[in-house]
Amino acid sequence: MKRQVPLVLCFVFGIAMIFTRFSPHSVSQWIYEEVISWVLIIGPFALVLATVTLIQTHTTRIRRRTEHWQYSLVVFAGLTIMVVIGIRFGPQNSIFEWLYNNVQLPMDATMFSLLAFFIASAAYRAFRARTFEASLLLITAVVVMMGNVPMGDFIWNSIMSWSPWADKVSEARQWILDNPNLSARRGIILGVSLGVISQSIRIILGIERSYLGGGD
Amino acid sequence: MDFWSLIGIWVAAFLTLSIYSVLYQDNPFYRFAEHLFVGVSVGYGIVLSIYQGFIPFAWKPFVAAVEGESSSGFIKLIPICIGLLFFARLSPRHTWLIRYPIAILIGFGSGIAIPNVLRANIFEQTRGTIAPFAAIHAGTLSGWGTFEAILMVIGVICTLTYFFFSVEHRGPVKWLSKVGIAFLMIGFGSAFGNTVMGRVALLIQRVDFLLSDWLNIIS
Repeated sequence: MKRQVPLVLCFVFGIAMIFTRFSPHSVSQWIYEEVISWVLIIGPFALVLATVTLIQTHTTRIRRRTEHWQYSLVVFAGLTIMVVIGIRFGPQNSIFEWLYNNVQLPMDATMFSLLAFFIASAAYRAFRARTFEASLLLITAVVVMMGNVPMGDFIWNSIMSWSPWADKVSEARQWILDNPNLSARRGIILGVSLGVISQSIRIILGIERSYLGGGD
Repeated sequence: MDFWSLIGIWVAAFLTLSIYSVLYQDNPFYRFAEHLFVGVSVGYGIVLSIYQGFIPFAWKPFVAAVEGESSSGFIKLIPICIGLLFFARLSPRHTWLIRYPIAILIGFGSGIAIPNVLRANIFEQTRGTIAPFAAIHAGTLSGWGTFEAILMVIGVICTLTYFFFSVEHRGPVKWLSKVGIAFLMIGFGSAFGNTVMGRVALLIQRVDFLLSDWLNIIS
């Protein structure tokens, strides 16, 4: 009951999804669409559970007065305001949209733009053309970056004006992306895909059971 | 510009500068923005998943069934009950019940992955790799195009060889995998270059916001 039923459910849903994908019959297509809607219904419950866990974690921090516990109140404030306004009035509400446009969106963009500094700092420390492979990586990265922006074009043209490759950095970037980069990417995609398929078969057949966790 | 738009710009500018302040060192402004970001993002995710998942696919069909408009909505009670089993996690005695919804989600994910990955990632990528040879056979591909097609096949085979651990990498296999590493380095270099440029574009966009929308220094 505790382990066998989940294995059976996993098998049934897995096999059902494979068969319905290959069968054009109307019943098969109805099952396919129904199961997809089931997953879209079950998904939000998992998100709510994750939120409950987040609340528990921050409640514990506040109760125990751990270092910087005051900021847990900020988490609660942000969460509560978004959920109350969003659920009460809907995501099209003007206050909800104002919060999204002026609070979440700027912070999201700023957080990701911070990586520009960290990547630049890491690259300065780690990029050393010591081997042939490292040089390839370095040269490719430089060409791709320069080919992306007008300033890169200008610098490239200034340095390479004497050579037949002047004014060609954008074309070089595109050629790298479309040929050697794509072939490496295809190799990785093919390898990963074969791994995904074999792992999926193991899960459906109940060979891989780690998702059940420990215990009975 | 109306009052709330102006307040919005000041709030966004304050949060942007608070996050950038971490570049100097960790400080209360950054911690405030960081925690606010977590709370607001989670809240936004919940609202969207409820409005785009639960309400259209469960609540509305169920209400329609209760009001007698359609009987098929009652079937939605099954996924709702399965979803509620997630909360068994909060009771130590009934934690094992969480395996039911997880098993369904994992079974669904595995089942849908097999045909989709087969078609999109294996058949299509293989077809894309060897398709230019039809043009070579027909004599419609230029000399440079032929070189690119051959380079593509060599790159894919060598990259796959590098990840093939069922045989020891000695002799020809070793050299194939060495060529594979070269292709992989070009791939990683391209990914790195594109990532850096993507982040720099975001940085430029934030600086543009601060200088034009907030400070009105540039227009």
